[in-house]
Parts: sequence; C-alpha cells; structure tokens
Amino acid sequence: MSADKAALPPPDRRPLGPYPPTPEMLAEPVPEALQRAQADRLRAAWRTPKGWRYWTAVNNTEVGKWYCLTALAFMLCAGVMALIIRLQLAVPDNDLVSSDRFSQLFTLHGSAMMFLFAVPMFEAISILLLPGMLGARDMPFPRLSAFGYWCFLIGGTFVLVSILFDIAPRAGWFMYPPLATQDEGPGSDIWLLGLSFIEIASIAAAVELIVGALKCRPPGMRVNMMPLYAWYVLVVGGMILFAFPPLIAGDFLFELERSLDWPFFDPTRGGDPMLWQHLFWIFGHPEVYIVFLPSIAIAAMVIPTVARRPIVGYSWIVLSAVGVGFLSFGLWVHHMFTTGLPSISLGFFSAASQAVVIPTGIQLFAFLATLLVGRVTMNLPMLWIAGALAVFTLGGLTGVMLAIAPFDFQVHDTYFIVAHLHYTLFGGMIFPVIAGVYYFFPFISKKMLSERLGRWSFWLIFTGFNICFLPMHLTGLLGMPRRIYTYPTGLGWDWLNLISTVGAFIIAAGFLVFVWDLLRPKGKQPQPPRNPWQAGTLEWSHDIPEEAWGVRSIPHVTTRYPLWEQPGILERMDAGRYYLPDAEEGRRETLITSVIDARPLQVQRVTGPSWITHVAAAFTGGCFIFPTFGYYWPAVVCGVFAGMAILYWLWTATARPPEAERKDVGLGLSLPTYVSGPDSVGWWAMWITMLGDATAFASIIFGFFFYWTAQDDFPPDGALHAGAGETALAALALAAAWGLVLLARRWNRHGAVTAARLALAGAALTAATGGGALALAVWPLDPTSHVYPAVICAIALWICVHAALAVVMHLYCLAGSFAGKLTPHHDADLCNVALFSHFFVLSSLVACAVIGLAPRLI
Amino acid sequence: MPRSKARAAARPKALSAALTLPLLAGCEGAQSALAPAGEDAAVLATLFWVMLSGAVVLFLAMNGLFFYLTRIRVQAQSETVARWLIVGGGIVLPFVVISALLVWGLSILPDHRQAGDGLRIRVTGEQWWWRVEYWPEGATEPVISANEIRLPAGQRTELILDSAHVIHSFWIPALGGKMDMFPGRETFLSLRPTQPGTYRGQCAEFCGASHAWMAFEAHVMAPEAFDDWLAAQAGPAQTALSDAARRGAGIFTREGCGACHTIRGTEHIGVVGPDLTRVGSRTTLGAGRLGVSLDAYRAWITHTGDLKPEVEMPAYDHLSEAEATDLAQYLRGLE
Amino acid sequence: MNDESNTSDRPREDEDRHAFAAEAHSLWRITFAPTVWALHFVLCYGLVSLSCAKELIPIATVQAVLTALSLLALAIIAWLGFRSLRQWRVLVTGQLEHPEGTPESRHRFLGHAAFLLSVISAIGVIFVSMPLILIGGCQ
Repeated sequence: MSADKAALPPPDRRPLGPYPPTPEMLAEPVPEALQRAQADRLRAAWRTPKGWRYWTAVNNTEVGKWYCLTALAFMLCAGVMALIIRLQLAVPDNDLVSSDRFSQLFTLHGSAMMFLFAVPMFEAISILLLPGMLGARDMPFPRLSAFGYWCFLIGGTFVLVSILFDIAPRAGWFMYPPLATQDEGPGSDIWLLGLSFIEIASIAAAVELIVGALKCRPPGMRVNMMPLYAWYVLVVGGMILFAFPPLIAGDFLFELERSLDWPFFDPTRGGDPMLWQHLFWIFGHPEVYIVFLPSIAIAAMVIPTVARRPIVGYSWIVLSAVGVGFLSFGLWVHHMFTTGLPSISLGFFSAASQAVVIPTGIQLFAFLATLLVGRVTMNLPMLWIAGALAVFTLGGLTGVMLAIAPFDFQVHDTYFIVAHLHYTLFGGMIFPVIAGVYYFFPFISKKMLSERLGRWSFWLIFTGFNICFLPMHLTGLLGMPRRIYTYPTGLGWDWLNLISTVGAFIIAAGFLVFVWDLLRPKGKQPQPPRNPWQAGTLEWSHDIPEEAWGVRSIPHVTTRYPLWEQPGILERMDAGRYYLPDAEEGRRETLITSVIDARPLQVQRVTGPSWITHVAAAFTGGCFIFPTFGYYWPAVVCGVFAGMAILYWLWTATARPPEAERKDVGLGLSLPTYVSGPDSVGWWAMWITMLGDATAFASIIFGFFFYWTAQDDFPPDGALHAGAGETALAALALAAAWGLVLLARRWNRHGAVTAARLALAGAALTAATGGGALALAVWPLDPTSHVYPAVICAIALWICVHAALAVVMHLYCLAGSFAGKLTPHHDADLCNVALFSHFFVLSSLVACAVIGLAPRLI
Repeated sequence: MPRSKARAAARPKALSAALTLPLLAGCEGAQSALAPAGEDAAVLATLFWVMLSGAVVLFLAMNGLFFYLTRIRVQAQSETVARWLIVGGGIVLPFVVISALLVWGLSILPDHRQAGDGLRIRVTGEQWWWRVEYWPEGATEPVISANEIRLPAGQRTELILDSAHVIHSFWIPALGGKMDMFPGRETFLSLRPTQPGTYRGQCAEFCGASHAWMAFEAHVMAPEAFDDWLAAQAGPAQTALSDAARRGAGIFTREGCGACHTIRGTEHIGVVGPDLTRVGSRTTLGAGRLGVSLDAYRAWITHTGDLKPEVEMPAYDHLSEAEATDLAQYLRGLE
Repeated sequence: MNDESNTSDRPREDEDRHAFAAEAHSLWRITFAPTVWALHFVLCYGLVSLSCAKELIPIATVQAVLTALSLLALAIIAWLGFRSLRQWRVLVTGQLEHPEGTPESRHRFLGHAAFLLSVISAIGVIFVSMPLILIGGCQ
C-alpha cells in the first residue's frame, strides 16, 4: 500500500502566507461570536481531567506544580535531617543519634538537597514557567515531563524512605570508594540505583527544556530577545547534558563493582578510587552552577520589574551564563586539592576556579547597574533577592579564598567548607527561589501570598541562616572536620556549635512560616490583578481565572518586554488575533519556530492526558529498585515491561501521519502539521539525548586511559586481550548496520519501500551480529580478576546494550512501515533512528579500537 | 627563598597583633589553624588574614552599593555610569585582585611538599587509628609506634602517607595543611614545626563509623629531646613489672591480645592493631579517644565498641574489674 | 513594532539550516573562544598528567610546549575577538544594546556576546597559564 503513496508528489511543507503580520492585519478585529466559539474549542481541547483522572494530566502547569511541591517536600525532609544533625552536634559527646544513624543522616541530607531538591526544582520551575515566558501552550513533550515527574516521585521516595528502615546510604553524598564499595548492606546500592534513576529523569527534563527554549518560542522572538530565563535554561540544560553523564558512567562502573565484583575502584586488583573522584566531581562542580544559574535567572526576571526598566547589559548577562557554563567544567579538581596531585595540575584548577569569578561577578554587577538606572520600588520578591545578594557575595568571597589551593589545604573538609557551601547555595539558590515563589505565585496559582508572613519568614530565615552558618567559618578554622558525629570538649568548638544549632532552628521556624503561607487555604482571597508587579514579559499575559490553554493565541513578538513595549498585544492575544487561536480538530497544538529568528515552521500536535506515563515510570522504577536488594530477575521483567510501555506510548502518540498535511494557523499563515529531520522537535530531542549518551561513553573511555596513565602495568604483562577477530567483525557489522539504516532512509524517501524494509531488517540483523561478536570477543576474559579485563568488558557491555536498543529501533521502524506509520513522506522515526545510528557507529568504532587495538599498541 | 619565607612567617605576628587582638582569644585551640606553631601553618594563617581583610572590604562595598541604590538614591541615574560599573566591577577589579592573589597562592602551592631535613615518618591510616613508622636519615629499619606523632622543632620532616583500606586524611592544623591517605597509593607531605608543644591532629576525610574518633596528638620537641626519645622508643618493651602488671601481662597472653598487637621483646607480634610496646608513654588512648588514666585504660578494654563504634577490637567486658585493672596496669606501665 | 511592516522576512521551508548557514559564523562563534579555552585547559591537564604520572615526557619540555600553546591560544582568541568586535560594529554605530526585532540587531547582538566571551576566555587562558610559569616540576 505504501508503494502507491510513493507515486504521489511529496507534500509541500513550506510555510505559506504573509509573515510577519502587518499592523493592518493585527488591527483587524475578531468577531465576538467567533472569539467565544474558538475559546470554547480551545478550552475543550486543553481541559484538565477531573476526579481521579486528574493525575493523568500532562499539562506543564499541572506537572510543574506537582514537581515543585514534591521537590519542596523532599527539601523539607532533608531539612528535618539537618535539624537532627544540628541537635546531635549542639553539645560535645552527645549521644542523641548513633554514629551509624548520623552517617545516614548527613549522606541523605546532602544527596536529597542536591538530587531531590536543587536540580529537580530548577526543572520543575522551568517546566512551570518556560512555556508562559515563551507564549507557548505547553512544553514540546508533555508526556515526557510527566514520565520524568513520576520517575522522580518514585525514585525520590524510595531513597528517602530507606532511612526509616535504617538502611539508608551512609558513605557520604560523594560515595567515595573504597568506603562506599565495601559498605555492607544495601545503602550504597540505594544511592546508586535510586539516584541514577533520577539522573536519567533529569536528563529527560533537560532535553525537553532545551528543545522548548530553542523551538517553541513565539514567532519573532529572535535569540537577542529571549527572556534571560530562557537563555539560562539553554545554558543549564546544556550543562546537565555534559555534567550528569560522567556521573551516570561512574554509577555504571560502581554498580558493576557492587553487584558483580568488577574491581574498578579496588586498588588490590589494579583499580583506582581516584577515578571515581574524577567522575564524581566532573559532575559535582558543574552541578553547583546548574543549581546556581537558574536562580540567578529568576533574579534576572525580578530585577527589571522592580527597576521598572529593561535589564542593563543583556549581552553581558548572556555572556556570563555561557562563560560560567564553560568554565564550570574546569574546576572539578578543586574538590580534590588534597589528593596529592602534582602542584602544577592543582594550579590549573586553582586558576580556572578563580577565572569563573569574573563572569559570576559580571552578572551581579549587571543587576546593580539595572537598579542604578531604574527607579527602584522594593517589594517582597526584591527583599528576598537582596538577602540572596548579601548571602551569596559572602559565599562567593570565601569561594575565592578556597580556590587558592594552599588555603584549601587547611580548611578542606572542615566546617569552613560547610559554611561556604551553604552560603553559596542559600544565597545562590534558596533565597532567589523563594523570591521567585513570591514573584510568580500569582502566575502559578492565581492568588497572592501574604506580604506580612513573607517578611516574617524572610527575617527569620535570614537571621537564622547567619546565626547558624557564620560561626561555622570559625569552627572550621579551629579545626573541626566535617561529618564527625560528635566531638570532645575543650577544642573551642562547643559554644560555636551551640550557636549554630540555635540558628538552624530559627531557619526552620522561617520555613514553617513560608510553607504555611504557601499552603494555607486562600479560597476567600479576592482575585489578584493579572499583572500584579507590572512586569514586561509574556508570562504575565496569563488568564485569571486560570485557563489550561497557556495562551489564548500565540503572539508575534518584536521586543524584549512585549507587555511594556508592544501596546495592544494583550488585547490582541485575548481576542485570538494572533496565531493558533482555535482548536478545530480538538487537538492540543503548539507552534514550532526556527532556532535563531523564531520564524514559524510547523504546528506541533502535543500529547494529552494518559496513564501510560505512570505505567512506564512504575516499571522503570522496578527495574532500578529491585536490583538494590539483589532481585535481578524481577528487575529484568520490569525492564522489559517498561520498554514495552514506552514503545506503546511512542507508537500511539508520536510522529503519526496527520489527517491533513497543513493547516491555517491564523493571520493568513498556513503551516505543515508534520515535519521530519532537523525541522522536527523529535530530531532535536534525539540529537541532544545522544550528546549526553556520547558524553557518558566518553567518560568510560576516559576511565580506560586514566588507568593507563595512573598505573605502571596497564594492561598487565601477559594479560589476556579481547579476541581480535571477533572485535574486528563487530566493528564491521556495526558499521554495516549504520550504512543500512542510511540506505533505508534514502530508499524509503524515494518510495522504494520494499528495499527500505529489507535494509531495516538487515540493519537489525547486523546490529545484533555486531553486539554478539563483541560479547564473544570479551567472553573469555575474567572481569573480576583485574581492572583491565573489567574495563574492557564494561565498554563491551555498554556497546551491546546500545546494539540491543538499535535492534529495537530498527524493528520499530520496520513495523511502522508495515502499519502505515512510517511512509515515504512521513519518515520522522527513521530520521531520528538514523541520527541515533550516527552516534552509535562512532561510539562502536571507538569502542572496538579501544578494546581490540589500544591494548596491543600501548 | 628561605629569607622571604621567614619574613612571611614573621608578618602574621605583627599583622594579627594589630588587627585581631580581640579575636585572638577565640582563635586559640589545640587544633586551630589560626594558632600556627609551624612554618607552613603560619604562612597559611597570614594568607587567611589578608584574604579576610580583602573580603570584608569587598563585601561591604558590594552590599553598601546595593543598599544605596535600593534605599537611598532610588531615582534613575546615568546609564553610562551603570555600564562602567559592569566593566569596572565585573572585569577590571576582579581581574586585578585575583591576578595578585593567584601569583601569591601559586607561588606557595608546592611548599607543603618540599624536601625535608632527613627524618621521614610513614603514617598509614587504619580504621580508625594511625600506624606510624619513624625512619631517621640512614635508618635501615623503622622505629614503630602508633596514634601519636613526634616531630623535632625547627626541622622539616617528610611524611609519607598511605592507607590500609579506605581513604583518610592526615591533618595537624597548627602545623600545616592536610593530605589525603589512599589505599594503594602514596602521598607526601612535609612539615616544619617551630614551637615545641602539643597539638591535636585529626582525620579529615570521612572514613566510616568512627571517623569522629580518629585523632592523635602531635608533640613538637626540641631536636635533642626528640633524638633521645626516638632512641628510647627503639628498644624492646620494659620488663621490670609490678605484681599487678605481671598479672596483667598474663591476662594479655590469656586473652590472645598478641594476635593483633605487638609488644616488642615478648611473644606478642600481631600486626592487626596498634603496636603497644610503649603505649604507656603516649598521651592519649584509642587514637585520641581517651586520656591515659587507669580508668581510661579500663574503660577502653571493657567498652571498646561503645567508645568507638564498629571498631575491630572486641570489648573485653567479661573481664572482672580486678582483671581489667591488672591489664590496665600492665599496659600503662609500658613506657 | 516598527519592523512589522517589513514583509521581506518571509518564512522558508528549511529555515533552520538556512539560519544556521547564514549565521553559522556568528552563532557558533559565541562558543569558539570558550572552546579554545577548554581545549587549552584539557591540553594543559592532559600533558602534565602524562608527564608527571606516566613520565612519558620531561616536565620542563611540557611546560615550554604549553607556554607556547598558551600564546597561540591567546592569539586565536584575540583574532576571534577582533572579528566579533567588527560584527558588533560598536565602534561604528556607538550602539551598545541590541533589543530590536531585526536580523541586523540579532546579528550584532551575537557579535557583542562573542566579543565579551573572547575577553573572558582570554582571562581564563591567562590565569590557567600562570601555574606554568610560577610552578616548576612535578612536586
């Protein structure tokens, strides 16, 4: 049947009609009756499910709210742990909690604050706010956000609940081997698997946010006009893509050591604990900026509003964000200054740690400059920003001190560091985020928070914070190390610790006030004004009372602050004068625009409410949680079901050929409803995901060369190598699979459907052969005997898993071709698989070279 | 180079006397990095005070400006001034300040690993105590001790650090910066204490349940006194025992303590736990856990795990009080 | 608002590829200078490790080579900075902000951002080169 379609000429996928709209077109009124009819249809298409089906919602406003509240709840749990820690340390020789329990508490406190609060909170807030700021209806992949959220909920709860059973991880949030690898009990596995699960959800959110910021902007919003928040989302999303994969690679090696006794970090068998430190901190330091930059982004939204004028130094702030993004990857060894690396290497990282001060400082001075030229009206959000500035500058200045390596030799791993990191994280994250909550609350829930309670909570948290953490600088200088569960009297630490404990409880009181303000019933409160702060950006075009459609119509934007600088834009948006004012087919749609100049390209059908995300998340959760307790078969079963659920979801809801090839989106513009390749959001998502995947793979390859550099006998003399013939066969077969996929795409596009199907089947076969050959090549090796065979086997395992994925993808496309989902003119799936193949063939060839060639050469 | 260092070491005294007299009382402490008793720590303390002064000025300037702009002069001001503020505050000022700081910081960075004057001490981190070997210049075999470091004043001593199982970190704040101790890898540190006295050191890298109780005392001695002490340490354990101590020695043998502990000159040659040949001459018990009273010894023998969670040594709580006292007498007498 | 009458701004089918092609020299240039910094940094770290841990190359040679590479990196960054300064055209127009919804404004904005990133990257390279001069040997 598809062969017939091939005879048809390809559909015209060019945007047709006038663009940009002329003032006359925009001035033309929309008839009232039409407005009402359009609004009703839109409302119906975007209606949030009611009753118990509410939880199937995937709309960014709902998922974003759940995400924020869950992250807040996890933060409060981690905060309670901190209070117990402080109580234990209030007096010397205390025995409130045991040493073991204390280790669990500080491990979980750190892990939860970082993995369950700071990073997810950025994703949550961005999912909630970004579409509004961009005048988009939703994120490009709503079900992916929902899937990510449910994964986060399951994984986070699992990790946190472990402490109630006294089996929580207890080797510190950094999990240094050999302490963590040798730890008995499931604690380390809970950390590794639970958090890997969440890291994957984080990467999914990053993919979604990057694509959202690049492709879902309103027509006309060129890169020089994006709200600064969107720039930060781009930078932070990019950082997540390069920072998290090294940790995932590290987790992969770590779990192989825990479960299968492959000795990556065991020095008695050639392993090296330093590799973990490198991989962890290559993640860990950018992570700090991943947490910090989005909060600065909130300040960049609040400050122009407060100053009543556009930001000064827009380009400067963009430069700082991008610059920090780059430089933050050159700092990781400053967490390892005392590990005995050569002084000159330490010097590089010391210098880079200082260099990052400059872009960070520029951001702060750009804010000061904006306040200088504006007419400042202090409001509650600004009060929190002021607190952030005071706290963060202190944290930044101690950071400058710590970046001087010799000084760090003294205070490393002491309470000075505890003080420093809390100053940067409270100042760089907590205060700005709370400022954001006060600022954006009317947008999020269409109610106002209390000014009075907000001030109370600010002054409680601010004073409590300084009472708690300022003395810790001195505690550290007086020699108190971190992570000690108690201490003897007589070292000058007693009264300092007591003061800190008092401060901690004042902070807690402040948070109680804040949380009460947030959650107290506000039913009787009158509706707030639509734009209570008189801000200039698009999110303040939101509807009160709430409408689930995001924006009534997607505006044409020509300024950085449309609500200030484009008179009449709000009325026209509300009247449906702009793009996509209607939902004739009752489908959820948003506009896809070009990356740089945001010219409209396509109408994207976005997915609606579904249970499939829950099913997929639950099985994915099982796949990660069962191995923690050594139940490997249930995990495999869960993995298979998770895969099936995801395939069902993709099959039923993505890249389906549309009922009409194009549609009129308003203002005379007609756009295609289906695109494939680089024009489509799916292709971008694949590209970005594979970038992360490639980074993880590169980290494992780095591991191979790290062992070679750090050890005199790697590979050991007379070691058994992987089979040369099998490795060569694997390289050939995997390269052939790549060639066949490209041929399949080409033939399919030219209508040679049967040939394309044969090529796809061949690709599946050769990919399977390649994976199998590589497995055979390493089969005789004993990975438990030494780190050399272990790392070779890990690389082979990585490639085999990807080969299996590739086979599934090829068969998926083949099935799509038979079912009419993949046709010569609707080949988005195949384009995406081809993109995957590019990355896969590259990593396969590198892997085969490292497995087969490198050990014989070095 | 040495002269400039001597000057650097002299500066903090003048500086801290002038600037920080009221603070000084709060900076004292056996484990304080701000009460330096060695060349390395003194340089770092100076570095801190200088950086602190700069940080206070910058902090006040930045936040003062913010306060001024949001509370005092709220009306709009010149955009040119604003742009110069970004260039001056964001680039020029930090570039100058940081360049200067980096030159200083980098130039003293390798100092904590400079070559020593002859004595080398190998310290191995154990869970949770310190195995210590003294290698005087030219020695062919070490003098073995544990849980205490003694250093000659005015000389630079090299420390060779490693670990048995997990990562630890060796740190005597009053004498200098810390250095991590890895299993399967040696790290290196050198210290030049200047003032005789007793200082406290502690493990700084989280190493498990009793991380909090992995400490030791560092005694800085006049060089001659140090040499005498080292010569005395080298020989076998004391044999002239009181009656109680003799009974205690019997209990030591009966309970199999020698499977883990060495007492040179006896049949006990275990190497799992600390060498006890001269345990009575040390100033703490259980790696800084307890003092050295008879009660402390008794408590340690009978309540080991309570005092030091998850420690490998079992608690000998089946010993009667008399037996425990005898054993304590014996060990305490091993001076 | 003023550009809404400009109807020459028609959308095209292969928008992204064209936008990238037309603007490749400015969009990607934003990241060129920091990339030079990153490469310089990785080379510094990698070569020193090979020298000090693996003892493949004498450290003095490495320091000399890396110092030369630092100068090269600075020269490349200076050249990139000069080109983006021309793209920014501030010396001609005196215009410091580019908030307008026109292709030209976007073009100059990217030039401005690329120029500023060159400045930061140059500072980064200078800082990272300091240990090469101030610290000798592998100690």
